[in-house]
Amino acid sequence: MLCIRESEINNFLNELRKKYNVFDVRNDNLPFKQYFFPPEDRIFERKKNKIKTAKKSAPFILFGLNFYDLAALNQLDELMLKPQEDYFYFQRRNQSIVIGLIKEEVDSLPGGEIVFQKIDNGLHRVWLKNEKQRKWLKKYQHFFEEIPDEKITMKKIEKLDEWNKEMQQLLLEPEKLTKAIEWSINHPLWDELAQRCLGCGICTFMCPLCYCFSIEDYKTLNGENYRLRKWSSCTLNDFALIAGGHNFRKELKKRYYNWFYHKFVRGYYETGNSLCVGCGRCYHNCPAQIDILKVLKTILNDYEKHLSA
Amino acid sequence: MKNIYLPKIVKIKAVNDLSPTVKLFCVANPFSKQSNGMYFIPGQFFLLGKIGYGEAPFGVLSSPYEKKYLEFAIRKAGNVTNYLHTLRAGGTIEIRGPYGNGFPLDFMKEKDVVLITGGCGIPPIAALIEYIILYRQNFGNVYLLYGAKSPEELLLKDRFKKWERYINIILTIDKPHPQWHGPVGFVSDLVKKIKINELDAVAVMCGPGPMMDALEKILRPLGISDRRIFVNIERKMQCGIGKCQHCNCNKNYTCLNGPVFTYDEIENAYD
Repeated sequence: MLCIRESEINNFLNELRKKYNVFDVRNDNLPFKQYFFPPEDRIFERKKNKIKTAKKSAPFILFGLNFYDLAALNQLDELMLKPQEDYFYFQRRNQSIVIGLIKEEVDSLPGGEIVFQKIDNGLHRVWLKNEKQRKWLKKYQHFFEEIPDEKITMKKIEKLDEWNKEMQQLLLEPEKLTKAIEWSINHPLWDELAQRCLGCGICTFMCPLCYCFSIEDYKTLNGENYRLRKWSSCTLNDFALIAGGHNFRKELKKRYYNWFYHKFVRGYYETGNSLCVGCGRCYHNCPAQIDILKVLKTILNDYEKHLSA
Repeated sequence: MKNIYLPKIVKIKAVNDLSPTVKLFCVANPFSKQSNGMYFIPGQFFLLGKIGYGEAPFGVLSSPYEKKYLEFAIRKAGNVTNYLHTLRAGGTIEIRGPYGNGFPLDFMKEKDVVLITGGCGIPPIAALIEYIILYRQNFGNVYLLYGAKSPEELLLKDRFKKWERYINIILTIDKPHPQWHGPVGFVSDLVKKIKINELDAVAVMCGPGPMMDALEKILRPLGISDRRIFVNIERKMQCGIGKCQHCNCNKNYTCLNGPVFTYDEIENAYD
């Protein structure tokens, strides 16, 4: 079993820094998606009649994605491929090597290219996506060691806290969530949430799987013309506002419902999964402390009552 | 990897006024070297604009078989269209597309067709009319019901003469006007003028809110079922390829699964 000692991880990263840009996401506020899909991305520039497309990024390493991030990365990769490949996302994604760092028990690589899984005695088990990564790691093999399986004692799995446990339980049945959210369109809870929600969009910016964007054009006084792709949020007031002033989703209630609708209904029909990995970022960063778990539980409860009635 | 966001730069061949706020843009067809068949399906749209100013979706109104140019009717409504109105023949414009599904041309074959539109909703219908005229023998009775606020806001009047040789045109305006002698509003009387076999007819709608009025007063009395009413809807669109989420409408993206939906598909849309 290929392993790396906890004490060697930093040395390994330092070695990588000599050749690559290495980003450690563990101290970031924003989710990892910012490295593939930046909050503001200058995608095109125009000089007179020539369009210049943004340059490909240099190869880089993204380190420290946790279990939820890796699951989100898997889904984001899939979403960005459909129905057509997103040029600017894959321009970065294809240049990156993602190294995850998890403590959960897994049977296979949960996502990314390389994953360090914490096992006992200050050891991390190394999971690789395929032979390409094995070859690449050969250059750095002095940081790693091959340890026979029988010498490894698996540590007891750290228990998830109550919130995460319940959330993961709910996410096991995406179809049920789909039906419940679809049914809930006239549920009074959405009115109540629209009262509490500030419409600030933090939940969607913090979500590792939200990928709404706007394309905005700018012109500067020194003659630059450029087009930005910016993060947008479906809970913002002008999300569906068109020229002439008509807003297709004027009420916050509709916009907030739409956020759930995308995550659990449209997303499910598109990919077969809820577009939620249960990381809890939207809850922990919400200025109104709206708890996605409570919302889902309330709706599921009432939906089940409705079914049995 | 193909960059789907990269627009093509094309020449503007001509710009003409259609009404005080609408201009007709004739731009070079950027795809003329690629194929010799249909360049788009009537009902599909293109994104027009310029980097630095923005881009916006517009339906094409020229024939889908026209090799040399694409025509767009652009109403001054916001930042992008205000800029586009400053462009002149000989200049350039950036274009990408076509996007969306377009009208179900094969389904409409052998059937009577009722086209209903208002004001600036005429472009996709105009392209469809050009298509119908080309294959006139494949269609039954064809009616165009076209309404606008005032006579001067009826667009493409110069083409009505040619169209009238092939299809029936009924024009209406919303408010009485001294120079107007035709019908005012989509009134129920119009139903009498339309002779179709309601069991084998399709309706196509494109345009603003008053269209719903037309639906209640004309299509329902005519007896055309909701499944056979095709509506070309409008939403905010930015990417054109079903990613940015702005144009979502229930389970669908207007830019990808639309902009043409059957009426029963969108009737219960939550927005």
